[in-house]
Amino acid sequence: MKVAIASFAHTHAASYAYLLAQMPDVEVLSADPDGAAAPDAGPRGAELAKKFGIPYVDSYDELFAWGPDAVVVTSENAGHRALVERAAAVGAHVLCEKPLATEVADGQAMLDACAAAGSILMIAYPVRFAPSYLRLRALVEAGRLGDIYAVVGTNNGKIPYAARQWFTDAALAGGGALVDHTVHCADLIDGLTGGASAARVYAAANHVLHQDKDVQVETGGLVTITYDNGLLATIDCSWSVPDNGPTWGGVSLRVTGTNGSVEIEPFLPHVGGTDPEGEVFLAFGGNLDESLLATFLNAVRASGAPVPGKEPAVVPQPDGAVGLRTLQIVDAARRSAVSGQPVDL
Amino acid sequence: MAEQLTDLTVGLIGAGNISHVHVAAWKALGARVLVHSAEGAESLAEQYGLEVAPTLDGLLAEVEFVDVVTPSPTHKDLALAAIAVGKGVICEKPLTLTAADSHEVMTAAAAAGVKVYPAHVVRFFPEYKAAYDAVQAGRIGPVAVARFYRQGSSPAGVEWYRDVRHSGGVIMDLMVHDLDQAQWMCGPVTTVYAVQSPPNVDGISPVCVAAHVTLTHESGAISFCRATWGVPGAPFRTGFHVAGASGVLKYAAGTDTGFVDELRDDAVGGDVLIPAAARGESPYLTQLREIAIALRGGPEPRVAGADGAAAVYLAEAARASMESGKTIDMKSFTSSGAVA
Repeated sequence: MKVAIASFAHTHAASYAYLLAQMPDVEVLSADPDGAAAPDAGPRGAELAKKFGIPYVDSYDELFAWGPDAVVVTSENAGHRALVERAAAVGAHVLCEKPLATEVADGQAMLDACAAAGSILMIAYPVRFAPSYLRLRALVEAGRLGDIYAVVGTNNGKIPYAARQWFTDAALAGGGALVDHTVHCADLIDGLTGGASAARVYAAANHVLHQDKDVQVETGGLVTITYDNGLLATIDCSWSVPDNGPTWGGVSLRVTGTNGSVEIEPFLPHVGGTDPEGEVFLAFGGNLDESLLATFLNAVRASGAPVPGKEPAVVPQPDGAVGLRTLQIVDAARRSAVSGQPVDL
Repeated sequence: MAEQLTDLTVGLIGAGNISHVHVAAWKALGARVLVHSAEGAESLAEQYGLEVAPTLDGLLAEVEFVDVVTPSPTHKDLALAAIAVGKGVICEKPLTLTAADSHEVMTAAAAAGVKVYPAHVVRFFPEYKAAYDAVQAGRIGPVAVARFYRQGSSPAGVEWYRDVRHSGGVIMDLMVHDLDQAQWMCGPVTTVYAVQSPPNVDGISPVCVAAHVTLTHESGAISFCRATWGVPGAPFRTGFHVAGASGVLKYAAGTDTGFVDELRDDAVGGDVLIPAAARGESPYLTQLREIAIALRGGPEPRVAGADGAAAVYLAEAARASMESGKTIDMKSFTSSGAVA
């Protein structure tokens, strides 16, 4: 199978490149034509591909002309649409980094393009594959929590500033913490509810954290969502883990139903302690990207080449529709944060 | 990786408790499994779709290597039988019940050019491996003081565990995991001091019993292992605290699991179908895959036959220390060959 990696803008490209390079039945090719112009200190483009140990071409034209069976899109958020549309146009299946896009109209166009081409569009929400989440979902599906009426999610992390500055560029990222971190929890809730739609979204955001870095986008945010089934959820999406914290951050999801609550923290299992730099946090929860990629590639294998107008034989979750629903929440949160009033969808 | 294990036929010897997790791992690896056991082979085979080998010789003739999951006293003879016909061996811990027997097994294996690996599965638990890797990488500097513990519901009220001639007692049966960890993380052992409370009487272990063992290591590190067969029903718990010259690593199973429920005790609902992925990869699967690849000529796994023999040697030294009330010098300690 031929798998292309389009752009190294997103830090997760490293993880996918590493995993794909190890797969004996996968041929990898990469391109990162915009890397040279990026303001980041680390290597990009051919130099980074060499570090990953994967083949590289200089342009997207060459990458798509290679005839990939599948394309992993790891560009800046604002670049997702163009690359996904190109992938669909050459008859490839697509795994797209989250969030789906920066604007809802772009996201809808991507879903339409993939549907027309018969391509899989899967969204890279790896927390879906966390063992604790799978256990929670099994309990929910068996009715053990009763009727679920409230959720609190947190996805706090360090500001992704040092490695890739575009995360704090409103035009390229679509915003700050609201865009970067709301979607993971929104996706987990989507998976528990079978795709409930948000009816009303309220968001408060601020810029108190990381002012020393001259960041223009919001760095703190709280998003309250009322779903069409009545479910209430609030998500803390802040970049509130200090730069010197022992780990990048984490995710929590507290789900309350008529029979009680379950709270998961998929990135909590760790060996703790201290070293000369301070606190030690050795996570051992497993590599969720590995499960995500396996799910995508298995679906690609099972579906075969896309047939225009025909739905793929296997539609791996989370799919483009989840990506669009979670993007709609982000878009409403952005607008609410500006107006100070809830936004009805 | 898994491609290296195609067309694998494994000979499982034994059908007790631990056989179930081994079988699950072999099935996950796509192996054909023949099982031979003094009892329970038929029901195990029926449950998992295995083939029963009525005789040991029949099993040995047909398999690529054996996986020994029988009660401890039988390990030695079964390992020797497999070695005699040139078949590799994976053997549950303890490798044998005495260091003299382990030495005999390892010598026979070396002479026959056959590989023997002990199933010291704790080396394959990701939390222990993460700590080991960090220690190796110098993250906490040279290890100074390490502690390991392991406790659970006593198995000694039932079955064969209470008879020290059969189980080796709480140190040989349970602490052997942490004796291996101590040696893995801190290096070769110089002295062993051990106390058990209450002591064994006439080769019979108390049902509820704790053993405390202190080791000194060539590296200068000192370490402490505690193993407890606790009140029946006590939860199984393990953990460690490793202090180095420039840092500390610590872990306690059962804390920070990332999953907490506050559900009503009488919460009802349909059957919960927990997907396999919700449990993460079983360390037993990681272990058996890595060792099976090594038995097929792949890279050496993270545990060697000598490690299994060394852990038995330490456990035997601990028993000698308990009996004499003295510290045992590993430079001069030799196995008496007595099992209790």
